[in-house]
Amino acid sequence: MRLSALAAQLQRLLRGIEKYMLVFDGIDRQREPPPTLLPALARLGEHVPGLTTVLIVNYPGPRFLHAAGIPHIQFPPYSRNQSIHILSREPLDIFTGDFPAELDYDDETHAEDKSWLWPRFCAAVFDSLGQSCARDYSSFRSVCHKLWPTFVSPIRKGDFGTRDFSRLLVAQRKLFQEESVLLDSILSPPTSVTTARRAQAYNLPYYAKYILIAAYLCSSNPARLDQLYFSQTSERKRRKKGGGTARSGGGKPSQQRKLPRHLLAPSAFPLDRLLAVLHTILPHDVRSTIDMYAQVATLASLRLLVRAGGFGGGDPLEAGGKGKVGPAVSWDFVKGLAGSLEFALADYLAE
Amino acid sequence: MEYEKCYVFEPDATRPAKRRKTEPQGLQASWRLRREGYRAAWAGPQARIEHALSSVHDESLDEVTRFLDEQVTPANGIESTRIPTGIVLTGPGGSSRGSLANRVADRLRSQPRRIYVPLDSTVTPNLKAALKRFIQRATSSTQGEDEDDEDAVATTRKGRRLLNYDLQILADYVRERKIEQVVLALHDTEAIASDVLSELVELLGSWRSRIPFVLLINVATSVDFLQQRLSRGAVQSLDGRLFDAVPSSTEVHQVFLALTDPNTKLWIGPGLLASALERQSDFISSADGVVEMAQYAYMSHFYANALSIFLAPEVKLKDVPSDHFDALRNLKSFWGYAKYLIDSDRVEAPERVRGLLDDNAQLFKEVQRCITEGQAALHRITETLHVIRTAQELLPGGTATLKTSLYIQALSGKLAGSTLIRSMLLSARKAPSDVVARLIDAVRVAMASIEDEPASNAAAEVQVFQNELIQLTASSKRGAKQQTLRSEDDIGSSTVRTTVVAQKVQLSKQKSELSKQDAAYTILVRKFTDVLEAYFSATLVDVQKLPFHEIFLFDLKSPHRETFTPRPRHAIERALVTPHDYLGCECCAPDKGQGDEATLSATQPATAVLYQLYLESGSLINVSDLWQAFQAVMSEKKKDEEQLMALFQRGVAEMRYLGFVKSTRKKADHIAKVAWKGL
Repeated sequence: MRLSALAAQLQRLLRGIEKYMLVFDGIDRQREPPPTLLPALARLGEHVPGLTTVLIVNYPGPRFLHAAGIPHIQFPPYSRNQSIHILSREPLDIFTGDFPAELDYDDETHAEDKSWLWPRFCAAVFDSLGQSCARDYSSFRSVCHKLWPTFVSPIRKGDFGTRDFSRLLVAQRKLFQEESVLLDSILSPPTSVTTARRAQAYNLPYYAKYILIAAYLCSSNPARLDQLYFSQTSERKRRKKGGGTARSGGGKPSQQRKLPRHLLAPSAFPLDRLLAVLHTILPHDVRSTIDMYAQVATLASLRLLVRAGGFGGGDPLEAGGKGKVGPAVSWDFVKGLAGSLEFALADYLAE
Repeated sequence: MEYEKCYVFEPDATRPAKRRKTEPQGLQASWRLRREGYRAAWAGPQARIEHALSSVHDESLDEVTRFLDEQVTPANGIESTRIPTGIVLTGPGGSSRGSLANRVADRLRSQPRRIYVPLDSTVTPNLKAALKRFIQRATSSTQGEDEDDEDAVATTRKGRRLLNYDLQILADYVRERKIEQVVLALHDTEAIASDVLSELVELLGSWRSRIPFVLLINVATSVDFLQQRLSRGAVQSLDGRLFDAVPSSTEVHQVFLALTDPNTKLWIGPGLLASALERQSDFISSADGVVEMAQYAYMSHFYANALSIFLAPEVKLKDVPSDHFDALRNLKSFWGYAKYLIDSDRVEAPERVRGLLDDNAQLFKEVQRCITEGQAALHRITETLHVIRTAQELLPGGTATLKTSLYIQALSGKLAGSTLIRSMLLSARKAPSDVVARLIDAVRVAMASIEDEPASNAAAEVQVFQNELIQLTASSKRGAKQQTLRSEDDIGSSTVRTTVVAQKVQLSKQKSELSKQDAAYTILVRKFTDVLEAYFSATLVDVQKLPFHEIFLFDLKSPHRETFTPRPRHAIERALVTPHDYLGCECCAPDKGQGDEATLSATQPATAVLYQLYLESGSLINVSDLWQAFQAVMSEKKKDEEQLMALFQRGVAEMRYLGFVKSTRKKADHIAKVAWKGL
């Protein structure tokens, strides 16, 4: 609809112009593109005389232009030497702020030194980390920029001279062995050594923890085993551990390979099952007041419980509605919760 | 009436025969005065609480604003490509009053070159809506214009037409007005869909060079959780700094301190406070619950208890109706007080009790005096708790008990002579002189700051001990080295000796040699702890024995519980199982022999009958069977099948409306049971 208008307008505008180029950069990274957009753009040149369209794409899918025989140029990724060469054109400073007084130093020698040291450092980073993990230019650049201040800190302190590259490399070899620098984090790395590591998580209220444990149990235990694990009368069966049941006798491995349940995706459960399990795992009786339902709603707003179809709309408390634990509620997370409550989680978890 | 769609309601002109009581009577007559009393009494705590809650965040607020200020002028002139982000760990259900984000907004509002835009999950169902809202609020925030949704396409000065979710609008706006910072605050990050959040962050990251964005993100769970939800590109475009919001336990503590201020008129009792604190830690973990509890306690006391009239400011004898004095004479604590007066052997006691019983003026004076004294006694208790905590902190291996839990223990009369106090005094006796010197000093300072009789007396005595101790330690200088004095009660100063007599081991304790100074020191420490003990037992009185404590101490749990923690599900289930309790009709009354057992009967409402049948069935219910059973129950009374069918259908529809059953595709002619009883 709009594309035909574009074609018509272009025809009008380009009347009398011999040659016109239209370049679309990163056109494959469109948000919600209509399926016909790219082929139509590619074929604009057929309708508008004198127009050439150039599409710059990162990952061309097979037949993404719905046409064969598209002329194309491939730009291969930069090689090692190319990457290092490009990056060495803009070296970072060795010294920030004033130069140390004991060195007889000025801006000129600094520029000389850093343009000597920086390419060597870049080559070392490429060989150790970049080759396997950060081969594209931007991530290679960010890794180099992250490592540089730590790398040159002995020079700043005066332990090494600016040209002692090999000794510096040996002294700082840990930097090139650690891979944590490759992982991105939304927290910027601490500039100085902070006193105590801040807690990165918050404590949940008492009942919220139990509700999450109950939800995890509901999500991972099959409903037909509930009677076995949660019924007050089957206490003895549950305690029996390692004695073996009728099915597990003999040494023959089972035909079906069974995955541990905590590796499977959580399954949905109705709200009433959650509440019933909650009442059996709580160490004491509790009046189920509005607070309990409000807590479920709060957990749902934190995405620790999520809706999973069933009856009713988006309301987590709708009778007959189904929920499951959110992606953040992993086996380790629940184990941590159970540990803080001294709750014997393993006793209630189906194998 | 059903055939008319609407009609005009014409009330009868004549008034009903029974006159309505428009004027409150009896004890209710004083409610206007009590309302005034409530306003006067609550104004103080309210102001104190608001001040405490807003000042509790001051430190983290300063940190956040400093961070925002730093971002205005980028360090060493290089603009980072990543968005500077403040991540505030708020915890689930942070307090709504004086919350950090609102206060940051208040501070930024005064600066015209900076824009603050809060967004929450309700306005960000998708990227377009989020951007639309963001741009709209950012561009209108400094102009103060009304929001209008009509203009879908904005026209810039250059004449270009831009869609209203195009960040170019904001970029132009920023350039025109020379805005230095655009702060986007995301309140409930967890509730915003992951993909929307990632796309928003990536998009803002790509506009960072044109618009000086700063993000302020509230995190209720954990940073790791947030990072897992973001796409790689979004993670790369964030440059985060972590800030801690003040934990809610600190907020609660501040609220508690505000509630136990010396000017407090009405004190919150131990039971109520304990239950509110328990609810706070069990469920909500925000200080709001405790504030609500306190306000509701004040309201229920002043509105429902006629005797609270005596707490009203400057109440005169003529303001109080005489029946209030009769009510006063019926108080339990008044009886106890009168009995105590009679039992005391003083000569004028019978006269005085007679006067209190007969003369309103005398009783009025007595009540006023007792209330003032009682409030002072309660205040003394909180001061004593401060002394106890000071002592606990200084003693070796001692950690101070929470002030709230001490308060609860003290007001329920369990603290005086408790093991906590005894073990504290024992360890003081065992302590060496340097510890005791610090302890004596701290206790003296704490006591001296209290202005009342027992404290100043004790402080004077403690002063004497302090001087003596200084002399003692000065005289115990052995050589150049100052040696600490040891007490006789210290375990280290006695040795256990083993002797073997006739192949049996005998243990005997022997005190090691103590110097003269040590002995003197022991006596001094013992005297000191005796003074402390006497002081504690003088101030830690049992509040339940104070005369007229019903007036200035509120400790009723049930009004708070019924109001703030109702049980909707339980209420519906109970009403359906035992409708008679609510209808109170004679026809449904259970027979004498059956006791409380709920029985089915035709006189009960149809839905109640159906619900009881529902309880007996399995998870899938055959509707035909249900109808048969229903018919069997109801046919005692009504024979007409058509009528019964109508009742049945309405009952099933009501059950569905209440969320007990739903239709199912598993089996034809069946309905599925959705809710189980007692959850």
